[in-house]
Amino acid sequence: MNKEHFSEDEWKTIGQAIARLRASVMAVTFGIAGGLILFMATSWLLIIGPTGGSEHVGPTLGLLSNFFPGYSVTWSGAVVGLFYGALSGAVAGFVLAFIYNLIVGLRVR
Amino acid sequence: MGSTDSKVRCVIIGGGPAGLTAALELSRAGVEPIVFEMDRQVGGISRTVDYKGYRFDIGGHRFFTKVDRVHNWWMDILSEEFLVRPRLSRIYYQGKFFDYPLKPMNALLNVGFFESVLVGLSYVKAQAFPSREEKNLEQWVTNRFGKRLFEMFFKTYTEKVWGMKCTEIGADWAAQRIKNLNLGKAALSMLAPKVLTGKNQITTLIEEFYYPRLGPGQMWERVTEMLEERGHPVHLEHRVKTIHRDGEQVIGVTVVDASGKEKRYDADHVISTMPVRELLNVLDPPPPADALDAANRLRYRDFLTVGLVVESPELFPDNWIYIHSPEVKVGRIQNFGNWSPYMIPDESTSCIGLEYFVQEGDELWTASDEELIELGKKETDKLGLINADKVIDGVVIRMPKAYPVYDHGYKENIASIREYVDQVPNLHLIGRNGQHRYNNQDHSMVTAMYAAENILGANHDVWDVNVEEEYHEEAGADKSHGASGERLVPQRVREASPIELLNDVFAKYDPVALGGALGVMIGFAVFLATAILLVQGGENVGETLALLGNYLPGYDVTWTGSIMGSLWGGAFGFAIGFVTAVAINVTVSIHLGKLLRRLGVLEGSLG
Repeated sequence: MNKEHFSEDEWKTIGQAIARLRASVMAVTFGIAGGLILFMATSWLLIIGPTGGSEHVGPTLGLLSNFFPGYSVTWSGAVVGLFYGALSGAVAGFVLAFIYNLIVGLRVR
Repeated sequence: MGSTDSKVRCVIIGGGPAGLTAALELSRAGVEPIVFEMDRQVGGISRTVDYKGYRFDIGGHRFFTKVDRVHNWWMDILSEEFLVRPRLSRIYYQGKFFDYPLKPMNALLNVGFFESVLVGLSYVKAQAFPSREEKNLEQWVTNRFGKRLFEMFFKTYTEKVWGMKCTEIGADWAAQRIKNLNLGKAALSMLAPKVLTGKNQITTLIEEFYYPRLGPGQMWERVTEMLEERGHPVHLEHRVKTIHRDGEQVIGVTVVDASGKEKRYDADHVISTMPVRELLNVLDPPPPADALDAANRLRYRDFLTVGLVVESPELFPDNWIYIHSPEVKVGRIQNFGNWSPYMIPDESTSCIGLEYFVQEGDELWTASDEELIELGKKETDKLGLINADKVIDGVVIRMPKAYPVYDHGYKENIASIREYVDQVPNLHLIGRNGQHRYNNQDHSMVTAMYAAENILGANHDVWDVNVEEEYHEEAGADKSHGASGERLVPQRVREASPIELLNDVFAKYDPVALGGALGVMIGFAVFLATAILLVQGGENVGETLALLGNYLPGYDVTWTGSIMGSLWGGAFGFAIGFVTAVAINVTVSIHLGKLLRRLGVLEGSLG
């Protein structure tokens, strides 16, 4: 393909399209990322152990239990965190795509 | 037979609105018109068929135009005979009548609460899981309105009219035709006065229309009488067998009358409203092969009306009803008494026309009249509109080539035909089938007026009559849609061109949309996190979360703080989303620029 294949006006149309987000794909992507982030963050604190003179592991991250019942900075808590992270990530990804597509739709029409 | 005096003689093929308009205009200007009509009555698709005193309009013809010249012409011909009629047309679906154009409150009340919820969920689903491709009508409409609304108001009728599945109709047509309709505007129109929703005078005008007392055919019957009075009778039941050509001029036509007798008429000009496909096939000598092949590739959609006489003075108040119900084949039902009470000779009866959109030679087209009348009775009974036992008579009217089809490639075909006919200056192609364009009556008339003036020395482009611009059922509609001179009809789905594929690959993110989405989410997340802690209560509520106050002035873990936090979260989210989208777009643009330079489209180095 080269310049002669299309007119100048046709070439100008490239780059004018507005991307849409697929909510399902966004949900899966954000879900995987969210779950892994929380699992790895918990695991990392468990591996390095208590720091800064504290007797407890991950006192700050542990506050997430206010929002995620059952979560704690323990190995079993890491698995619970994997679930919560995945769930929240999936919801966030889905809603982000939904709102984005909605706004694009309103602006394009 | 040659001209007997110095008068210019113009043979006009076709006694429909275009042909008769041209004839009268030419006659008034001193040119001798000779009109040949293949049928036994004038009017073309605008004829009114008389059956035992009941008058049937083929398709329903409102006399509404924004072309002043045409309006004045109509008034000049039939001034006293025009009625001003109220317009009521509705959609019939699942036993309910929906206002047309659609009104949200009326639609909601009709579908009921449960179905409304399903419609809402289907809309949400379409927004969340839009179809990845938007190649066809179904995908385009469903992505915007949801599957349920698509099935209710778009699918069945479109498929009945065009004889194609919605998955076979290109999305471009929907994008051009439906782009002014959106749910937000519809919701606003439910609540706001008309002035806020952009309705204007045009809306009022289309709520009533002029209509000849005895149907549209009355107009063309009167014009025929006027031509006769001027010494130019219309020759009915005369089929054109040959159009004679000498070099780049047409010199005459040979016609065959009802008895099979042939006769040749010399002509200084020929105006043709006959289907282009047939025109090129009767030229002698024949046109070049490429033009003839192009003509033979043109296609048409046909139409038949089953007229039923019903023993009942009133059936429904509409002029016509769109039948969206998929369980019947009928597409539209005309109630002729509501167009004009003078169309019905017996006040104790009604007369309706069931319109079927068909293809010449298909099952319906070839069915016998008796079968079609039975089908009409059965379907109206099934719809609950008419009791079949009350039908006392019926008639079938077939109208071949009612709609020119704009299929894939028709533009190239027309271009090829025009390239040839433009070389024959005294052959003038006008009207709906004459130009293979979806003209309405008034625009066909304009092409006729232009052609007549061209014969008298003017230099109009008869192909440049803009039929789209003057037709807007919805006030405030954008006039730029559709190519100039084309009323929009669907085209088949086509494969994406390389340009379109490239365009998809390099699609950009909408910074405002991404910013808006992220802003809403982060703002809500901050509010929710604060609210959860406040509801849980306890000592030193949200001590750690309150540290956000270092970045978000005014934020703390209180109910007031949650509002401040959500506002700040929204602002930050918007900024992050906006900047992210811009950054992605810049990166994509850089890659696009490199590609275009490599292809030689852009000047400069590859960088």
